[in-house]
Formats: sequence, C-alpha cells, structure tokens
Amino acid sequence: MKPVPFSYERPRDLNSALSMLAASRGSAKIIAGGQSLGPMLNLRLVQPELVVDISGLAELKRAEIRGGELVLGALVTHADIEDGRTADVTRGAMPGVAANIAYRAVRNRGTIGGSLSHADPAADWISALAALGARVTLRSLAGVRSMAIEAFVVGALESALDAGEIVEAVHVPARATSAHWGYAKSCRKTGEFAHAIGALLVDPAAAAARVVIGAIDTAPIVVTDAAELFGGRIAADFKQRFDARAADALLVKAGIDDAAQRHIHVSVLKRAVFEAAA
Amino acid sequence: MTAIVLNVNRRAVEVQAEPRTSLADFVRDKLDLTGTHLGCEHGVCGACTVLLDGVPARSCITYAVACEGADVTTIEGLDEDEVMAELRAAFTREHALQCGYCTPGMLVSARDLVLRLPDADERRIRVGLSGNLCRCTGYVGIVRAVQSVIAARRGRNIGPQADGGRIHLGPAGSGRAMSGHDDQPLPTAGLELAAASDSVAPDVIPDFTPANVLDQSFTLPYMPAKVFAMFADIKGIAACLPGVSLTAPPSPERVEGAIRVRLGPIVAAFEGAARVERDPAALTGRIIGIGTDRRSHSATQGDIRYRLVPLDGGEATAVELSIGYTLTGMLAQIGRPGLVRDLAKRLVADFAGNLDRQMSGAPPREVAPAELSGLSIISDVLRARVARILGRVFAGRGGAE
Repeated sequence: MKPVPFSYERPRDLNSALSMLAASRGSAKIIAGGQSLGPMLNLRLVQPELVVDISGLAELKRAEIRGGELVLGALVTHADIEDGRTADVTRGAMPGVAANIAYRAVRNRGTIGGSLSHADPAADWISALAALGARVTLRSLAGVRSMAIEAFVVGALESALDAGEIVEAVHVPARATSAHWGYAKSCRKTGEFAHAIGALLVDPAAAAARVVIGAIDTAPIVVTDAAELFGGRIAADFKQRFDARAADALLVKAGIDDAAQRHIHVSVLKRAVFEAAA
Repeated sequence: MTAIVLNVNRRAVEVQAEPRTSLADFVRDKLDLTGTHLGCEHGVCGACTVLLDGVPARSCITYAVACEGADVTTIEGLDEDEVMAELRAAFTREHALQCGYCTPGMLVSARDLVLRLPDADERRIRVGLSGNLCRCTGYVGIVRAVQSVIAARRGRNIGPQADGGRIHLGPAGSGRAMSGHDDQPLPTAGLELAAASDSVAPDVIPDFTPANVLDQSFTLPYMPAKVFAMFADIKGIAACLPGVSLTAPPSPERVEGAIRVRLGPIVAAFEGAARVERDPAALTGRIIGIGTDRRSHSATQGDIRYRLVPLDGGEATAVELSIGYTLTGMLAQIGRPGLVRDLAKRLVADFAGNLDRQMSGAPPREVAPAELSGLSIISDVLRARVARILGRVFAGRGGAE
C-alpha cells in the first residue's frame, strides 16, 4: 500500500504551479489536502511522475464576499466551512453540508477545490454546489474561465479541467431569505461516500427551484428549473406537490435501470424536500 | 530522498525520506514512534490519526514532505496532555479497548471531540468517532468513556471550542514550508535537532509524570549531614554509579552525562542532561533527567528523589530512593517494569557499595556497566509468559460468563 515513487515540487506561487503543470504534459498531478488523491496514490491507482503540491499557496486560501457572492479559494477546507472560518452566504446550507463530509480528520485537510477537481459523483460538493447555483473559476497559463458547477462535472471522476488548468475558486451566490434548503444523503456507514444524494433550493416567492439527484455513478442530475417535479408550479405547498414519479422518470432517463436504486434515490430526494419544507 | 524538516512532539526533526513516504511511515520508520498505527492505509480506518498543527489528520494519506514545517503530535507526544490523561483513565475504567490497535487513533479523535462538542450527546459522539474503526469493543465502552470525560469537563465549567482552536484557512499542516523542493531546508537555528544535531543535551528539562516508580533504599554508616554533603559532589557521585560518565563539567544545578546500561544482549547508552534540586533543611533532593539512546532510538526520562533519614541516633543514615522513569522507543517494547526494577536494584546496590568505599577514603571499585544476568532475564520472561497464560485463561472465563 505504498505509492510508486514520484517527484515532488512545491511551487512558490500559482503561476509557477501552472508552469510546472504545463511543462509536465499530463504526467503531473496537483495535490492539495490529498484526501482523495492520497488513497488513490497508495492504492497505486494513480501513478504520476510528478506531484505538484499547491497546499501552501496563500493566494488559494482566500475567502471573501465580493459583489454579493462568496468567493472561496480552492484550498479552503471542509472544516474551514464547517467551523465558520469562512463567511457564509447560504444561511447555514454550506456549513451543514461541510460538517457531514467524511470524518473530521479528513475535513481538516480535504479542500473544496480538490473535491471538485476529483469529481467523484458520490462527493458532497458537486451536488450541493450545483443546487446552490455556484460557479467555478479555472485558471491556466492561458487565462481564466468560469462555468457552472453542473457544466464542470462531466462524468465519474471526469471534469472539464483541461491539462494545465486548475480550480482557482468557487463562487457561491447568496441564498435569498425566502429560499428553502434541503440536503439529504444515504451512506451505508456514517462518513462513507454516499449511495444517494438529494439537494434542493426552493424559493416559492420567486417560483423557482433547483433540484439535484446525486451520487448516481456519473455526473449528477441537475434540474435548474424544477417545476416539473412539483406538478408544474413552485409554491409554498411544494412539499405536498412533490411528484415522486417525475423524479423516477428523470432517473430512468439518466439510465438507472435498477428499480431499487431509483427507489433509494427518490426516497433520499423526498427527505431533502421534507427538510426544505420543515 | 528529500530532507524533511518538521516538528514532531515539540522537537525539530530533520530526516531524509522519499516524497512518497506517508507521515505515518515517517514517524514510525524514521523516528520509531510506533504508537501511530497503520490499518487500511487509505484513510478509512482511522488508526493512524495524529494531530497536525493541533487538529486531527490521517497520517496514512498525508505525505510527510507536504507537512514541511508543521507541528505533528503523535500519541507519544500526548502523555502529559491534560485531556488525554482524563481519556486514558476513562478508557481504562470503561474497558474501552481490548487489542489496542485502534486506540492511539481513537484517543486522538476522542480528544478532539472532548474539546469541540458542547455536551456528551451519545449520537454526536458516535458520529464523531465513525471514522475510527474498532473491531473489539462494539464501541460501547469507548462512547461511554468519551461521554464521561465531556460530562466531567463541562461539569467543571470547561467550555467547548467548536473550531478546535484552528484559525488558519487551508489544509492542516500546510503553509509552513518554504517554496522549492529539497535544496532549501528550513532554518532550524535555536531548535534542537533530533537526528542531525550532535548535542543531545536539552536546554530545558521539564517536569513529567513517570510511567513507573520504584522504591529502593540502603544504609550508610555515616551521619546524615555528611551523606548530604557527599550528595552535593556530583563528580564523586557519578564515579560511584556504574556505567555513568560526565560529558561536561557539572554545576550544582545541572549535569550533562551518559549512562551505559546492559539488559542481557542489549546495550543502551543514554546521553542527556539532568537538573539537580536540593533541600538542606529536609535533607532531601531530586534529580530530573532526560536521555536518549541513539542506537536503539529510545528515550528515557528519570525523576530520582532521595531522602536521608537518621538511624542509630544520628550515627548512620538510611538513604530512601524513589526512582521514577518513563521509557519510550524501541527499548520500551522490551523494557518491562520487572526487568528495569531488577536492573535498578543492582545499580543501587553497586552505588551504595561504591559510595561507602568512597566516603571511607577507599577508591571505588572498577565497575563494569550494570547488567542483568541472563538467568534473571530468562526467568523474568518465563514469569511473564506464565502470567499471560493465566491471564488469558481467566479472561476467557470472564468473557464466557
């Protein structure tokens, strides 16, 4: 259970990290907290020639509110969010998600940018941030680009990151005071990767809802205009209007053939709906 | 190989290791701190949990090279920790371990919960410990132990600290390194280097709670005042102790030296320093020392207290010794209290004989390093084995009831 030997570099700033990444032509791997990459290295599932450790880069450890949205540097950890060392614009939604990621010892090192880059479908942030309508900024030597989380996650362990590009920051919009938040997941054992995730942000005042069905072994199902899951209309009685059959149909469309699996996903989503309505 | 500089249990350490070396392998294989256990080696079982910059982290999926400049605290570094002392007592009381494999990681996580949780809520404790697997206890005793410590501390008005005291953003252990890779070691001026430095004598000798205490006494046919004065002569006293040599001129308060000890086939040379305290009114004194043996990568702390009691109307003196010590490292694996007691008994007997001779004006006998006879080790090992077998039989019965 030891990784194959690799070279190790600790760049002094983001630009030198990007240069190292560009020069490596795909043989390098970025490491931050290492809580996803570490196990894969130990299991020799990943065998990079070079590991570029960005965990010391202060420019990726910023957290600030800019133009009404929260901008979190890629190196902000789950524990930073859980403990409130970063500001919160989601009225408790993000700290609540963070507090239930894996275990405290993992949250003390695991980062939001690393979790997104790893793009494990069962991880919390790709579902939670998609429901919150967050965006991600990616940087390479060529410049910066920005995209919605649901566009960033392409498939299981597949993101939109180009070679030579890293996640720089996550931009989270403020949650409206009228918006309800629900988040539920099913884990075989507390702290393990989820088998099903349901997340939703419902704003009856704006007649809008974002719903995510996650941990489906590929990119999550993200419904940005979720009226179809609530009988065609988002209103204060969204809990009563939740249509389990419509959710099941979405899962069928996503290729989930196993009825039992679909039942678990729909049930977990229903729990999230109930939480949002509570 | 890369030179990795970090602080382990409050000591600066500089050791060569490959970048792929996990922090767990680093402390176990390079520093012989084998209290950190490896179970799954992919972040699931929690046995390897250590404190990194004061908060828990998985040392199996954290690479030592990434912790450059960080403060690492392993279970060995928590001996004197107040919360850990309470947890150890509670784990003992509640039978919170059997084989002990998960215990170092379990204690590190439990300590974190004790610091952070507002109250002794069972569910929150169980969730908080879900990243530490135990295959023996069914967790009942562990949860109860953690509950009792939280309840006791909150009862004493010690409040929770929800963030565990962390103020920086980013991965625990990160951000303390200088940039670059292996050609720029951190400045370590003023720090004691465990492996690289030549001097092993620490500047400050702290108090400690000995893991083992044994009492010895002997008598001398001289008045207490004369014996007390003799005890002030550090060079003279050192000459009476088999295997002891001084490495620097002693002062009345401080002595630097080495002691060579043989334990059957094992020879250890502990080099270090000691602080000397004396109370002439009470005719008592105390010597607190720290020493390390480089060959066996072991360390010892000793706290020897003496009291002089007049005998025969003040014509003779009973020297009452209380010898406290803690042994860590490879030697601790075999240095059971029984073996050490035997060794101390022989040392004290030789010391008493030499002291008597010296005070009567005769030169001390040429002494070989103190050692245990082969027979004594064998019989001790046998005794322990018999005791273990008996213990197993009784434990088996107890478990069946």
